[in-house]
Amino acid sequence: MRYAIEVGGRTRQVVVTRTGDGFAVTLDGHPWQVDARRIGAHTLSLVVDGLSRKSHEVVAAPNPGSGQLIVRVGTTPVAVTVNGTRRWGRKDDGAGRGGGPQRIAAPMSGKIVRVLVKPGDAVLARQPLVVVEAMKMENELRAGRDGTVAEMHAGEGMSVDAGALLVVIQ
Amino acid sequence: MKKILIANRGEIAVRVIRACREMDISPVAVYSECDRAALHVRYADEAYPIGPSAPRESYLRIDRLIDAARRSGADAVHPGYGFLAENEEFAAAVAAAGMVFIGPSPKAIETMGSKTAARTAAQCAGVPVVPGTEEPLAVDVPDAAIAAMAERIGYPVLVKAVAGGGGKGMRTVIDPAELSSAVRAARSEANAAFGDAAIYLERRLTRPRHIEVQLLGDVHGTVLPFVERECSIQRRHQKVVEETPSLAVSAGARSAIASAAAAVAKAVGYTNAGTIEFLLDEDGRFYFLEMNTRLQVEHPITEMVTGVDLVHWQIRIARGERIDLDPAVLVTPKGHAIECRVYAEDPDNGFLPSPGKIVELRSPSGPGIRDDSGATEGLDVPIFYDPMISKLVAWAEDRPRAIARMRRALREYVVAGIRTTVPFFTWLLDQPDFVEGRFHTTYLDEALKARNGRPFVQPTREEEDIASVAAAVYTLMTAGAPASHGSDGATEPAASRWKAQARLEGLRNL
Repeated sequence: MRYAIEVGGRTRQVVVTRTGDGFAVTLDGHPWQVDARRIGAHTLSLVVDGLSRKSHEVVAAPNPGSGQLIVRVGTTPVAVTVNGTRRWGRKDDGAGRGGGPQRIAAPMSGKIVRVLVKPGDAVLARQPLVVVEAMKMENELRAGRDGTVAEMHAGEGMSVDAGALLVVIQ
Repeated sequence: MKKILIANRGEIAVRVIRACREMDISPVAVYSECDRAALHVRYADEAYPIGPSAPRESYLRIDRLIDAARRSGADAVHPGYGFLAENEEFAAAVAAAGMVFIGPSPKAIETMGSKTAARTAAQCAGVPVVPGTEEPLAVDVPDAAIAAMAERIGYPVLVKAVAGGGGKGMRTVIDPAELSSAVRAARSEANAAFGDAAIYLERRLTRPRHIEVQLLGDVHGTVLPFVERECSIQRRHQKVVEETPSLAVSAGARSAIASAAAAVAKAVGYTNAGTIEFLLDEDGRFYFLEMNTRLQVEHPITEMVTGVDLVHWQIRIARGERIDLDPAVLVTPKGHAIECRVYAEDPDNGFLPSPGKIVELRSPSGPGIRDDSGATEGLDVPIFYDPMISKLVAWAEDRPRAIARMRRALREYVVAGIRTTVPFFTWLLDQPDFVEGRFHTTYLDEALKARNGRPFVQPTREEEDIASVAAAVYTLMTAGAPASHGSDGATEPAASRWKAQARLEGLRNL
């Protein structure tokens, strides 16, 4: 099978073939010999044959927010997209990228405790815009990129549902 | 005492249930709608529904909790922490229903619940308090009078809610011109959070450390202090890492702080478990901050270095037993313990809560590790409550070894389906300032600000390669059987291998 894997801003070509007791893999043309065992619904144990036989425990689970697959290698979570199935535009931290308006929605239901900007304000990437209280914590929603506040739908004291549009940055 | 109702949920309910089992007491759980399948319900002997998921309609409903306790025939109620643990009305209602409240008296809860009354109690016991106003400032105190008080106390000042906690209703004022707006903001926040707009002023110490003393008091007048805990690692006034003993407290200071704490508790006739919090300034002087009239989230680290089970003692004290522990043992820590509060939050996205279904969970274990958790695979982390999923505790002979052990445990911690603060702790435990103990209560906020949202984990090229290969292999292996289905792909081949082996061995009856 051939897969296009997007990781770290690059697209990698991966070809996987089952062999007797493992998988012959090529990653962008480089050959890998992988012994893979599935432990549970999401966990794999990989032993990769090379100069040494490196052992990696890998946990792969879909990230409900982005449609990506989060692959945990050792302790490091790596976000990957398999064959372009990621639903674009869901991530709100694409600092500086893309020219369209950025729409910031409530990540969960909660209460607006502070509104820090108003329409017309210039904002910088990662600047806090609105503070939402949910799960007993105050959470700052930040601008994904530099821009101007085009719309503000949040008011202090308002209760909002998950997914409600709060701010639009132009 | 034969049966205890636990008026709480999640990991603390599980913690109390464990103590009940060990003491041959039958544990009774309560649950809101979304907690029906939670671990504390599954571990209990009986379980009673108390209403919808929102805390105000369930875990904060005194009437429903008392009803459940009556129906179960419980002789006592343990409040855990949070929810109604520091509510004197609840403690009184339990007693009025003829049951024992496992905690201090309603009077002690009320006195120590008011920050200004608690300060007065500390001063009466001869314990220094941070310079500030002695009386609560009601809504009608004019701005000019407040400004004069602030001038006398000295800037920078903190404006704090009398009923406060967790940083709510709190403002720092450096410039006198900003005082009146800070007072207004603090009042409105305090009114919204606690239904009480009263505030008071306190000098803000520069770079203080947060030191606290665990106490146990019995009904026969004995109050015993424990070795201090340090909780200076805080994010926006919420503790995230605690340890004991503190690097900043010498043996001499330890006994002074412990005696001061015991004096305050004795002055208010305190019984059961409680904690006195202090601020330690850069010159090593300590000041009373407040008292928490309940078990603390960070109680396990004290248990690890003293060998005393605090929940067992809460129950024994509530039964009227005398504390017969050796006071010297309690202030002589054996080794060092660290706790990380693992939250369902995405540290790479401003620590936003990350509720959802836990699809894979494996907690660390092995030497010196304790994971107090209420989470299991297949459970949803609900949006309604505090998103802490577990308290990970590491004990070792000394601090460097405890840090190394915690790093090892964090490596083993596997949680998939939701984001957790594990990668953040991995980063924090590598910071030279943390390793060398150079920190204070605003250290973490400053360090996080300096990072400006940079991700805590940056995959290396090698990790990206492995992730790419693994994603492809995983997709191939799970093709036709979606991962979210939850079925174990290993079951069938394993079963057929067994059959093959059985045939080989001539066991035809399989």
